[in-house]
Amino acid sequence: MSRRREPRIIEADVCVIGAGAGGAVAAAELAEGGASVVVLEQGPRHDADRFSARPLDMLARLYRDGGQTTTLGTPPILLPLGRGLGGTTLVNSGTCFRTPPAVLERWRGEFGLEALADEQALDPCFARVEQALSISEVTPELAGRNAAVARRGAEALGWSHGFLRRNARGCVGSGVCAFGCPTSAKQHVGITYIPRAEAAGAQVISGADVRHVLVERGAARGVEARLADGGRLEVRAPTVIVACGTIHTPLLLARSGLGRASGELGRNLALHPATGAFALMDEVVDMARGVPQSFYVDEFAREGIMFEGVAGPPSYVAMSLPLSGKRHAEAMANYRSLAMFGLMVSDRSRGSVRSLAGRPVIRYELIEEDVARFRRGLQRMEELFRAAGAGEVYLGLPGGVTPERARARDLKLMAFHPLGTARADARPEHGVVDGNLQLHGVTGVHVADGSVVPSSLGVNPQLTIMALATRLAFGLLGRDVPPTETTDAARERVA
Amino acid sequence: MSRARPNLGREGLDRFVDAAPQPERSGLRLLVALERRPRGRRMLGRAHTVEQLANGLVAMGHYEDPANALTLGWDADAIAARGRALRREEGRL
Repeated sequence: MSRRREPRIIEADVCVIGAGAGGAVAAAELAEGGASVVVLEQGPRHDADRFSARPLDMLARLYRDGGQTTTLGTPPILLPLGRGLGGTTLVNSGTCFRTPPAVLERWRGEFGLEALADEQALDPCFARVEQALSISEVTPELAGRNAAVARRGAEALGWSHGFLRRNARGCVGSGVCAFGCPTSAKQHVGITYIPRAEAAGAQVISGADVRHVLVERGAARGVEARLADGGRLEVRAPTVIVACGTIHTPLLLARSGLGRASGELGRNLALHPATGAFALMDEVVDMARGVPQSFYVDEFAREGIMFEGVAGPPSYVAMSLPLSGKRHAEAMANYRSLAMFGLMVSDRSRGSVRSLAGRPVIRYELIEEDVARFRRGLQRMEELFRAAGAGEVYLGLPGGVTPERARARDLKLMAFHPLGTARADARPEHGVVDGNLQLHGVTGVHVADGSVVPSSLGVNPQLTIMALATRLAFGLLGRDVPPTETTDAARERVA
Repeated sequence: MSRARPNLGREGLDRFVDAAPQPERSGLRLLVALERRPRGRRMLGRAHTVEQLANGLVAMGHYEDPANALTLGWDADAIAARGRALRREEGRL
């Protein structure tokens, strides 16, 4: 007769669930501040020696569902999410923007988050992360010729543009940020904050699938997890930080019976939907030589439209090209002369996530207002490429469909920035967490990932998530965030 | 005696499809199977979006293969080897 194994028990001050942008930062700051910390990460610890620079191979290894998580709705949107120590920071492009001031103003006005969205109070949090991750602007040389094409177009049109700031150190432009940086130049949290947490005594356990957050009499008691070897683990801790990401945090809270009082858990999902376009140039571009996301055009940022670089090796382009048959083959034969750029929309559409048989079901319908943004964005993208001297432009639309006639179902979209499913709001009836990122009505359970971000940002969110996690960690330690030397450039933001 | 070189493109595509969640996985397997056969391609030609997806999938496998990627100037092995060497040299994780 088999006997169910007794769970292994660990006692700690803080249990952090998830080792991505929010969890890793909070864990390191808390451990360095003297707290005993346990980090439970569902995914594995990746070895950069095994990074092959081959997209298909790496998608299967570094991403949840091989990067094929998809929303239900019109159009379906591919939502690639990283898996493992580092979370999505392991596979993102490394772009870092501070939260735009207009967004913080909205958080204060619309969600009552006076303290959380205090620009001055957040400044040391941003500065601390920027220093920890060696954030700096990409140089034109490292940006490569793909960025040079977009720059030429933007300059010809007089559009506002610039080189992006990234968390990279010693980058040589391998061109595969999204498929595992082979030089470890990208300073993702798996090689920055996690080692710091471990050096300060934190226990980091990978392959730990947290099943429940335990709460007794309205206060955190710990978590229960299943381990990769089939064993069970119970972490007893008076503080729990949930940082499983925007898609999985609401599922964990819901199955723990937490965060549901407002009815907002799993709702308000924003995605920053995006699409890519290609141009056939009269020159060798070799788009994957250099930093794929190195340059932006923010001329239309106020309208919620942002252009950012995107590029990849041939197999990645083969999948992304909006062509088929002979035209696809011809375009691929000209791969070395193809330029590519991305268009991201600061969305007003909102979706939801819920669990079905333990898996997330993500619903998201693109509303007409956002479809209109894509129409305008695609028109402008074509202009950008034409102004740069493109011979042919391939927009992500079916043959015969022009940007001005595009419907939601015509768009070929991906999204990289899910936000908002456990949103912060000072009012318990409108939000899942309060301004200190603590669950309304429960002591000691906090959330530190994109799910707390209450609105679209219009820019890449990793720096916002990390700054909020820094603020949370120092808040729990009962200390001010120490000042860090910053430059004016570090405070640059999209208008 | 020479040893057969593994088809990294085909293997990569199989792993990628296997990693997809259900029901997408079954759908992708079907698309790949159809795209690899002339009759299947004719069937796919009737639905533009599906044809594009199937075409892109198989092409992705084709260009994942180092020999095919090299013809377009992409040497993944060299990129990975340079990365490993730099990490060792600079003592990075």
